[in-house]
Amino acid sequence: MDCNYTEKISALIDGELSAAETRELELHVLGCVACQEAKADFLSLRTQISDFPVVFEPVAQREALARILGTKKGATSGSGWRWVFTPAVAGVAALLIVGVVIGLLLYPKSKPAPQTPEDQIANNQRKKPTPAPTSSPAEGAKDRNPSTPRTAPSGDKNRTPNKKRPPVIVEPPEANIAASVDPEPARVRAADTETMTAIHFQKAELLLRSFRNVRANKPNSSAELSYEKRLAQQLVYQNMMLRREADASGDAQVASLLESLEPILLDIANLPAKPANNEVKVIKDRVERKNIVALLQVNSTALARALD
Amino acid sequence: MNPRVLQDVAQHMASQDEEFTMLFQDFYPSLCRFLECLLGGRKELAQDLAQESFLQLHRTAWGTLPQGEARFWLYRVARNFAINEFRKSHTRFRLFDRVVEAMRPTTRNPEEEYETRERKELILKMLSSLPEDQRVALLLREHEELSYRDISQVLNVSESKVKVDIFRAREALRKRWEKGKAARASAAS
Repeated sequence: MDCNYTEKISALIDGELSAAETRELELHVLGCVACQEAKADFLSLRTQISDFPVVFEPVAQREALARILGTKKGATSGSGWRWVFTPAVAGVAALLIVGVVIGLLLYPKSKPAPQTPEDQIANNQRKKPTPAPTSSPAEGAKDRNPSTPRTAPSGDKNRTPNKKRPPVIVEPPEANIAASVDPEPARVRAADTETMTAIHFQKAELLLRSFRNVRANKPNSSAELSYEKRLAQQLVYQNMMLRREADASGDAQVASLLESLEPILLDIANLPAKPANNEVKVIKDRVERKNIVALLQVNSTALARALD
Repeated sequence: MNPRVLQDVAQHMASQDEEFTMLFQDFYPSLCRFLECLLGGRKELAQDLAQESFLQLHRTAWGTLPQGEARFWLYRVARNFAINEFRKSHTRFRLFDRVVEAMRPTTRNPEEEYETRERKELILKMLSSLPEDQRVALLLREHEELSYRDISQVLNVSESKVKVDIFRAREALRKRWEKGKAARASAAS
């Protein structure tokens, strides 16, 4: 049994009709068996489909989230501690603790007999207890132990390197205490900046690639560009800060790249809601001319490799 | 490096991560269910694709989408991943075979377990028989309770197409259900 109103029944149970239409249809349903059946069947189907269970697996869900956030989870946020205590991480932590304890127990035994102060000074000059603060990321990477356990997947380039690394316990000789304490904060800060710069370069590269692919002559070009505009607005601020920092720390290569990126970001961020084709084209041409996408890719990869 | 500037950037990133965590906790289970129904009961694949969608969001669009848009973005991307999966492995032709093996009972009581399993299987079979457009629209409506307007945004189609798709999906399921009922009745007699 069919009725012309059946299609409207579907919209009725979804609450998609106006008040007047709803009233009219409900009056009709009172006297129409076909519509009554359709309404009952649709509602029954709804119950069955919405009864399909949502499986809630908190542990798996936490692990999945940790994996996703793992790329940037250097700084612990308010709720971040919960993700740290997964069984796998707890196991690694236990192993590290056992290793450190064994190391500490064995260390005094392997200590050589007391030396004269002159010998100590001579030895201290020969061996360096802590790696010197590295200004270039490549040097930092060379000094790092390749067998250090990784918590993030190998493809992740945004990982903050300093937070999860086990502390290296080295007893600095007295003569070197002053030298080894001072540069430590500088090293940490430099690594953080490099991580942020690498992330920034990756985002900027994605933005410029996306912008390059926009077809300005299509009718929906303005809708497509709104994404690029928003991303550019967000990146301009970061770009300014990172450029100032690169200038201050004397990293000329990064500073120059950020400097050439900044006007492009500004131009994209300030594009009108419906930009003319030539406005978009001018920016695209500049991006091509400066070959900035390739430069961003090279630099972000280099930084990420150095931080790995 | 100026520590204040660093702190600003780090704070900005941390607050974005917290918002992302909330979004993940709110929508991950429903996105998994949506994908599971879309993929004909392949639970593990559904979870993989849901995680892939969130990862994509975190890496590319997070922080640039307006408030409330992230959910639509996720469903759109998840649906595209599912479509890719259909194409890749010709899942369409193997859905029915996979339905049974993919069932994971959630209850302890054997009778309840059996009933739940049967019901789940039936729903998946019925949904799998629908064309992909209709199935997605119906799932977004019935599971996620999105309005026609929201669904049209997710699927990038007109509201009237959404309306027609949902109606056709319901009609098809209804007919299938009636047919099944008649078959069961004749088998019983």
